[in-house]
Amino acid sequence: MRLKTYMSQKGALPRGFAREARAIVGDEHFSDREGDLISYSLDYWLYGVFRSQYGDLPALPSAVVSPASTAEVQDVVRCAGEYAVPITPFGGGSGVLGGAVPLNGSIVLNLQRMSSFLDLDEVSLVAESEAGVMGGNLELELNHRGYSAGNIPQSLYCSTLGGWIAARAAGQFSTKYGKIEDMVLGMEVVLPDGDLLNIKPVPRRSVGPSLKDIFVGGEGTLGIVTRATLSVHPLPELTLKQSFVLPSIEVAVDVVRQILRAEARPAVVRIFDEAESERYFPKIGRKVTVIFISEGDTGYTRLDSRVIKRICRENGGESGGTEPANIWLRKRFDIGLGPFLMQHGGVVDTIEVSALFRDAAKLYRDMVSAMKAVEGVLEVSGHYSHFYREGACLYITFAGFPEDPMKYYRDTWDAAMQATINNNGSISHHHGVGFWRIRYMEQELGAGGVKVLRSIKNALDPRGLLNRGKLIDDGK
Amino acid sequence: MTASSRDRDQLARCAMCADMCKYSCPTYLASGRETLSPQKMARLILYDEKGFLEEEEGFLDLMFQSAMCGACSRHCIYDDYDLREFMHEARVKAFNKGIIPEDVRQRLETFRKFGNPHGEREVKDHGAGELGYFIACSSYKDEALLDATERVLSQSGLEIRRFGGGEICCGAPLYYAGDMEGFRRVAASMKGEIETRGLRRLIIDCPTCLKMMTGIYPEVEQGLDVELLHTTQFLADILKQGALRFTPGGGPVTFHDPCILAFDLGITGPPREIITTLGYDVREPVYSSEHTHCCGAAYGAKIGDHRLKDAVTSMRTGELLETGADTFVTGCPTCKSALTGINMKYITEMVAERISARR
Repeated sequence: MRLKTYMSQKGALPRGFAREARAIVGDEHFSDREGDLISYSLDYWLYGVFRSQYGDLPALPSAVVSPASTAEVQDVVRCAGEYAVPITPFGGGSGVLGGAVPLNGSIVLNLQRMSSFLDLDEVSLVAESEAGVMGGNLELELNHRGYSAGNIPQSLYCSTLGGWIAARAAGQFSTKYGKIEDMVLGMEVVLPDGDLLNIKPVPRRSVGPSLKDIFVGGEGTLGIVTRATLSVHPLPELTLKQSFVLPSIEVAVDVVRQILRAEARPAVVRIFDEAESERYFPKIGRKVTVIFISEGDTGYTRLDSRVIKRICRENGGESGGTEPANIWLRKRFDIGLGPFLMQHGGVVDTIEVSALFRDAAKLYRDMVSAMKAVEGVLEVSGHYSHFYREGACLYITFAGFPEDPMKYYRDTWDAAMQATINNNGSISHHHGVGFWRIRYMEQELGAGGVKVLRSIKNALDPRGLLNRGKLIDDGK
Repeated sequence: MTASSRDRDQLARCAMCADMCKYSCPTYLASGRETLSPQKMARLILYDEKGFLEEEEGFLDLMFQSAMCGACSRHCIYDDYDLREFMHEARVKAFNKGIIPEDVRQRLETFRKFGNPHGEREVKDHGAGELGYFIACSSYKDEALLDATERVLSQSGLEIRRFGGGEICCGAPLYYAGDMEGFRRVAASMKGEIETRGLRRLIIDCPTCLKMMTGIYPEVEQGLDVELLHTTQFLADILKQGALRFTPGGGPVTFHDPCILAFDLGITGPPREIITTLGYDVREPVYSSEHTHCCGAAYGAKIGDHRLKDAVTSMRTGELLETGADTFVTGCPTCKSALTGINMKYITEMVAERISARR
């Protein structure tokens, strides 16, 4: 192998494991060929993507094993346990914190063969699918039947249902439909010992702590989600788009707070700072722009839209019409700028955090200011993109052309995370932890939180074989 | 096709994309293998060019594990970029090094022996006029399709020159196998066959032939001075003009959009017009029009691995059956021959069934 790996090396598998794993999934679905190992070496952790253009990969798996059923997943997990082979589950490989990078010479457990759409219950408004289904394919299946899951992340076309659950994902329409934890009702999980856990889909229940929530956000460290049941929504009868230019980030955040307090529930709300507004909407230029998309039943949507318009106008908002929302809808999956900058030596990434309304605007000011102070910076810009009655998610994009890429990358992250902690925010809203955010977890959770999470990990996976090195440092 | 340096920059960006098109890729979906996703293929091509790979044979083999259908290009975030150009370059390299999959090698041997992908056959050439109908290789071997075509053409009242067979072939199998010298030679010969007959317009059943003649021939300096029509365009036109009398049918019919027809030629409307004009209801599968999936067929040696081809065919068959229709039509004779597990017809056959008398 002429490629360099800079985090962990491909391991030598114990004698017997490959033979048994091949027997479980079939020869065709067990691979240690160069092309496959490279293809499962990295997810969309952007520093890793930046290095990948030079042939530097963070890690290579020892093999790729692709089961076709829950039973095969169970058998592979048991077999890996017998031979003490670490496992990295791999869905769409779109995670941006390195959650699917195969550290520690692990094998990759590829879930992409388990992608069937299973059932739609139109009475209860729930749908069940295998976890390896790509988001775009799940939406096509549902749309064809007149429904949507309502989870439309930018990674829709390259992320899986299982990945959404693992990372506690959010989509662009989350203000109305919620995050994935609000959508998942039930799931099937293969535990680290190979046993199966079925969490039945019910709207709510009171039988102790929510077991579901151990695995939503578990990042494949506590179990492997193989199926899930999601709530779904009828496709909207009516969609109304509006935009307003507001005097400042502070005013814009407060306007959205008032709108949600008035019980309006637009599906999409996005506040763009001056830099992002200029990039997206050149006609508007360097002004704070807010777009709203209301959708659903006709009467409800008209009312929702009227409440938004009234509150924006009461707060000095100037209408920007429907064009900004249409532009955003057209460009929302275009991630082309990142690869372009990386090709020219730029280091780029995004950081999403959350905070209560009382801290949300100051958090933006402090984060941008701290990140702009890092040597090598080219641009730092932001938008708020997911709102709740209590607060919001702030999403910052940064790019730099530093002499020392890793130093710039780490320093920028440190600055952003510290500003978030200082403003009482959470260090992640929906991208998760992977391996890159582990070092901020103690500040986020406190010693008590780390102890609880580590105890759960050690209880379920005492040998630390599932996605070792992710989410929490379990000392192995 | 030769990729320009501008395109090479795009390849590098494709290799750093998040694989935003992979949900549309039939070989990726049917195999569940990340390696076959477009962005991973791009990264491997880039690594091969930079000398990072050790197993070149394995890499070149992967380059034949694509349907070359164009779904990735259709759903790409970049404008004017087509990953297939780079996969094709790799195939040319593989051919020149003699490293080609066994399935492709066998097809090339047949081609060398008989001048077409299917073996010995007679030349057919009858009719007259400046409007031609080219009997594509995949139509030639389908008697039901040829009979139906004959009924429709003869009842259209138009003078039409029908020709095909023998060594008359568009050359697509050679192109997809990476044999560019052979392809150039066959393209020149095909151009000669068309020019000799003095044709001004040419109807073709096979989307791949049409793509070769419209998109690829000019690249090997064999551009044609003839108006090229897909059969669905021709049929939709003559039905609209009332040139055919027919007894309307009824009930649900599912149209399978051939990948090349939808992605490369952008023809999705005319077949649906034909079906509804004939009185049927179009029942769409989840994956149709710009979301269609390749049938997996390897007559153009597009997919060089029969197991992968079978997986794609099986996936597509399942998607079509899910519509609940019991009649399926398509606009590609190769798709018809691949999707054998269902009641699949070429669209001309459906028209022929309904026409009752020439006006």
